[in-house]
Amino acid sequence: MGLFEKFEKTATLYNGLEAAGQNPFSVVMEEVLGPTRAKIRGRETVLAGTHNYLGQTFEKTAIAAGQKALEVEGTGTTGSRFANGTFSGHKKLERDLANYLGVDYCVVFSTGYVANLGAIAGLIDPSEDVVLIDADCHACIYDGCQLAGAQTIRFRHNDPESLDKRLARVPPETKGKLVCIEGMYSMYGDVAPVKEFVDVAHRHGAHLLVDEAHSFGIYGEKGRGVAEDVMDQIDFYSGTFSKSLASIGGFVASRHPEVEYLRFSSRPYKFTASPSPSTIATANAALDNIASDPSIRAKLWENANRLHAAFTQLGLRLAAAPAPVISVLFDTREEAFAAWNFLLQHGVYVNMAIPPGTPGKESLLRLAVSSAHTPEDIDALVSAYSALAEAFPAARRSAGH
Amino acid sequence: MAATGESAPKSGVDEGGPSGGIQEDDDLVFRKICSLLDPLNHTGVKLTRDTDLVADLEIDSVAVLDIVMDVEDTYDISIPVNVISETRTIGQLVDAIHVTKKDQA
Repeated sequence: MGLFEKFEKTATLYNGLEAAGQNPFSVVMEEVLGPTRAKIRGRETVLAGTHNYLGQTFEKTAIAAGQKALEVEGTGTTGSRFANGTFSGHKKLERDLANYLGVDYCVVFSTGYVANLGAIAGLIDPSEDVVLIDADCHACIYDGCQLAGAQTIRFRHNDPESLDKRLARVPPETKGKLVCIEGMYSMYGDVAPVKEFVDVAHRHGAHLLVDEAHSFGIYGEKGRGVAEDVMDQIDFYSGTFSKSLASIGGFVASRHPEVEYLRFSSRPYKFTASPSPSTIATANAALDNIASDPSIRAKLWENANRLHAAFTQLGLRLAAAPAPVISVLFDTREEAFAAWNFLLQHGVYVNMAIPPGTPGKESLLRLAVSSAHTPEDIDALVSAYSALAEAFPAARRSAGH
Repeated sequence: MAATGESAPKSGVDEGGPSGGIQEDDDLVFRKICSLLDPLNHTGVKLTRDTDLVADLEIDSVAVLDIVMDVEDTYDISIPVNVISETRTIGQLVDAIHVTKKDQA
């Protein structure tokens, strides 16, 4: 009994939502109909909460590459990268990612979550190093710090001055200082002032890790991410295959040769199975696609700008400037739950997020734009959000906001 | 204001440890934390050193970390996340701030 007592509060929330048939956290994609459509609760729905930013889930070249890998290399590696789980495909993808980003080194991990866990836990010695993290960093960065057993200091979100103060307070005997930020933050769709963070971090002799999970392939002229213009000054760059590359896996790229030692020092690299050959093959094919065809990125931005402009026109309370993530804020969890269900009833799936998973006190509905959203999809999204703005005054900007 | 320092047990004095100066400082830190917690005190409970941040005030772990950033900037100290995650009550938070202030003095 004692083991389960902690679930009492969760149970009240979870069972209440389940009983009402309105649990945003137990959605099933009953039938996938394409990159932006699936059947949910028996109904064809526009997917706008799937982080398929560059629409690569059904690309012919990626599917063919995955099928070939299945036939030639089998279904799984049955081992960790440290032992028998490194195939030539893993090494090729590491080289291609490094080339794309313009750095010399790259290590592929089993997921994006594991990549950050592996980077932080592998780099940090808790007895002599310290980690400084942006307050709004993703859970995997917090978890990486915890796995490392590191002294972890939070600084104010997107505030280089707040980092500056905290770096100045780090005791002089501390050996390594690792600063962690993200490129685009996934809850609001806001973007880090990376150049300023580079300057502050390096002025204090700290290394900078930028997690571009949501911005890799999307920001910058070449799609290298929010950090593209200062790539030669970034110490570590982490990313995922599960968003713009529409596969699963993650990586840490770096200009420092020492990142190779993560293969020996990082438990999340050593003690989990490596990505299967077909997931590596589809990620590599998607990388080839997005690297060679900038029109995919341009289409995403066209869709994002169109939706953001339409939502602004509707008076919706938006969290940030135009970005591939467009979030509408609500003061209460109850309003957000009701609005999420309202959208689903109007044939639109988005993500719902509630505190403490959100940056502030607000709950939010998060729309993830895709380059694969068709004009019909965009029309359906604008129409559903238009009805939402009508039905939920709480979703609109008011004098108080 | 639901928060006052009046009911704070003077545990430091009872244990005969800290000097009067630190006791005064202790009250100041306690009051500072109460003033930061006040806007979040939706349950309306009286804030004492024994108030449990999560169980009594029903504020989430991230809200506690945000309050700590205000404390850090007020006292020009850095309190690691791992230290905060081990504190449950206002009193423990006050103590953690004192330890950090001493270490970083």
